[in-house]
Order: sequence, then C-alpha cells, then structure tokens
Amino acid sequence: MEEKDFVLFDNYLQGDLAEDEELAFKNRLESDGDFKKQFMTYKALSGYLEHTLSPEASAFTQNLEQISQAHFSASEERVDKPDRKGFNYARLAIAASVAFLIGIFLFNQIKTPSYTDFNTHEPIELTLRAGNVKDLVEATKAFNNKDYAKANAILEGLLVDDPENVQLQLYFAITNIELDQFDSADAMLNTISQGKSVYKYRAIWYKALSALKQGETEEVKALLKQLPEEADDYEQAHRLLNKLD
Amino acid sequence: MSDKEIHEDQKYINGLLQNNSFIIQAIYDKFVPKVINYIKQNSGSAPQAKDIIQEVLITIYNQAQQKGLQLTCPFEAYFFLLCKRKWLNELKKNSNKEVTINEEVLSKDDDAFTLASETTVFGEQQELFNTMFQKLGDACKELLKATFKIKSMEEVAKSLNITYAYARKKKSLCIGKLTKLVQESPKFKQINTY
Repeated sequence: MEEKDFVLFDNYLQGDLAEDEELAFKNRLESDGDFKKQFMTYKALSGYLEHTLSPEASAFTQNLEQISQAHFSASEERVDKPDRKGFNYARLAIAASVAFLIGIFLFNQIKTPSYTDFNTHEPIELTLRAGNVKDLVEATKAFNNKDYAKANAILEGLLVDDPENVQLQLYFAITNIELDQFDSADAMLNTISQGKSVYKYRAIWYKALSALKQGETEEVKALLKQLPEEADDYEQAHRLLNKLD
Repeated sequence: MSDKEIHEDQKYINGLLQNNSFIIQAIYDKFVPKVINYIKQNSGSAPQAKDIIQEVLITIYNQAQQKGLQLTCPFEAYFFLLCKRKWLNELKKNSNKEVTINEEVLSKDDDAFTLASETTVFGEQQELFNTMFQKLGDACKELLKATFKIKSMEEVAKSLNITYAYARKKKSLCIGKLTKLVQESPKFKQINTY
C-alpha cells in the first residue's frame, strides 16, 4: 500500500474528494480486494481514534473512575463492620448508658444543635415527567412515614426513568443523608445547588444539614452563610447559625 | 438485530453515552454487587472486580458510541455475562489452570449471549487497536492525540507549528502506519469483523 492511498482514504472519509474522484474511489473499492481491506481497517481505526481520544471519552472515563472508587470504598466499609462482632456487649451497654447520661446532662447544659433538631422535612409532593405513578405514590408514602430506606430505593428507580427531575434528585439526596450515605447525597446536592432550579437554595440548606450530621461545624457555618434572605430556609438557617456561634 | 425490539434497559446504555452520573451510579448500585460476589467466589478480589467492571463499562460505552449498540435483552444479563467472561479469561491468562466457561443457563439464540459475544469481540478489537497505537512513534502519537482532541486540523497545525497541508498528510500517514501494524498482527485475523 502506498502513502498516497492513505491520503486518499483520509480525503474520502473527510468528504474532500471531487465527484469524479469519489466515483473512481468507490469503483476501486469494488474491484480491488486488497485496497478495500486496507480501507476498512483504516476506517475502523479512524473511528476508534476519533472516539477514544475525544475529550468526551476522557470525561467519561474520569467520571466512571470516581463513581467506581466511591462505590468500592463504601462497600469495603460495609464489609468491615461485622468484624466488630467480638465486642463485649455488657461493656458496650454500660458505656452506652454512661454516654447516654452524660449526653442528657450535656444536652441540658449546652444544647448543641444536632441534625435531628432540624430534620423536619417538608412533606413530599412529587411530580413525574416519566415513569411509574404507583412507584411515585409508594415513594411519597414511604418518605412521609420516615421509611427512608424504602423511599431511597424507590426514588432511585424513578430517577433512572426521569434523571433530570430535580425534585426527585433533592428528595433522593435527603434520604441519603438520613441513611448516612453522605458521598452520594453531597454529590447530588452540589449539582442541584449549582443549577438554576427552584430547589437551588434548599439544596444548600440540606448540604449544611448533611455537614451537621457529619459533625463538620465549620463547613455548616460556611454553607449557611451562602443562603440569601429570600431563601425559604433562611430563618432556620439563621437560627442554626446562632446556636453554632 | 434491527428487527428486534429494543429493550427498555437501553436507558442504561444511553445513560453511559451521555456520561450521566446518576445512571452510572444506578448501574453500580443495582448490577455491580452481583458481579463482585461472582468474582470473589471465583478466586478474585474486590480490586480485581473493580477493574473488570470498569473495563466492561468502557467497552460498552465505546461500542455504543462507535457502533450504536442497541440492547434487545435486560442490561443485567448482558452486563453480568460480559464481566463473567472477562474475569474467566483473566483467570485463564494468569494461570495455567484450565478454566471452563460454563454458560449452562443460556442457549445460543439467547439475545444476551449474542450481544455479549459481539461486545466481547468488539472489546478485543479495541484492545488490539490500543496495543498497536502504543507501538507508534511519539511524533505520530502526539499528532493523533492532538488531532482528535482539538478536532480542528487548522488549530492542530498551529499548535504543532506545522502547515495545515502537512498536518493533514501526516495524520493520514500515521493512521496508515497503524493500519499496517494492526493488519500484520496475528490477533487481527481472529477478531476481524468487518
């Protein structure tokens, strides 16, 4: 195969051949088996390079790596838990009672705000653009009955059919905070808070609650300060901020 | 495949194509645990499962992009079969032990089986292309990377400080060189599908 044939392949694929040249090219493909074989490989390689070297493909690979990393580190943590079975339960019970008493004492003394002081979520009223209405009703019931594990599973299914639905995203994130799945919750709340939906500020409020539940007081303060006065949650944010200061 | 109905799970393929984090997350939540269990029960570890799963998802993404992959079976069956085969092939490669790939539950005309076979061959072809690409000289690699990243040959020429005509010619010669490398490889004959 000669160099000029490769240049010809490229010109053909780029649509740069004149009409008569293109006709001659197609005729040669028909009549010259070797030429055709080379061209088919050349074409497959061009397609391969175009896709695998594109910025979209590297964005996909990066995103996949992140999600995969998060998934595998989370499942490792879950696997680690049964190892603690050997703990002496009697000791644990004593420690727990002591901690409980100290807790009550401290609570009465200082009243440090905690996540549970603020996790009174507005009842869910979902709307769907796609997907199953029965699931929607089930998700609503489960969420309003505080069965967050069930709501989480159903919302996840609904989001597969309607991934752009910000309302579903928000409630899914809330269930993740309730279930201590903070990575997933925080990632989704970040996306919502950077978007333009009506849930933008609520997402910041929930980011703060997520940080509160994780004990990241400084992060909570920084987030609460981002809420403008017109935000629905401004008042309770202010209240929480005062308690933290 | 064109006369068959597209399965509703095509949404997972489309989600991968759109790099939709939520769909990718859903794939990990719903379908990945079964694969991890399988690999762990068959002499593998969690990090090995992680790599196999990522490679399979990248192959599916590439096939969807380059060949318009259309799913005519549930995603779970297709995905599991792909991961399972990849893992068994990995075991075969790394040990001299004979590994039998037992696909007792699937008959030859099963859609999942057919689709997974197509994807496996596609994946092997991509692997061959990648190996040969790595064998190219640095100048060719740089030029091709720039060409497909920047997407405008005028800008590529400018960034490499060469003329537009020379950049075009060089690009086709580099892909030509790659064409030769691929065709000369013994593996090429086994997996050539076009």
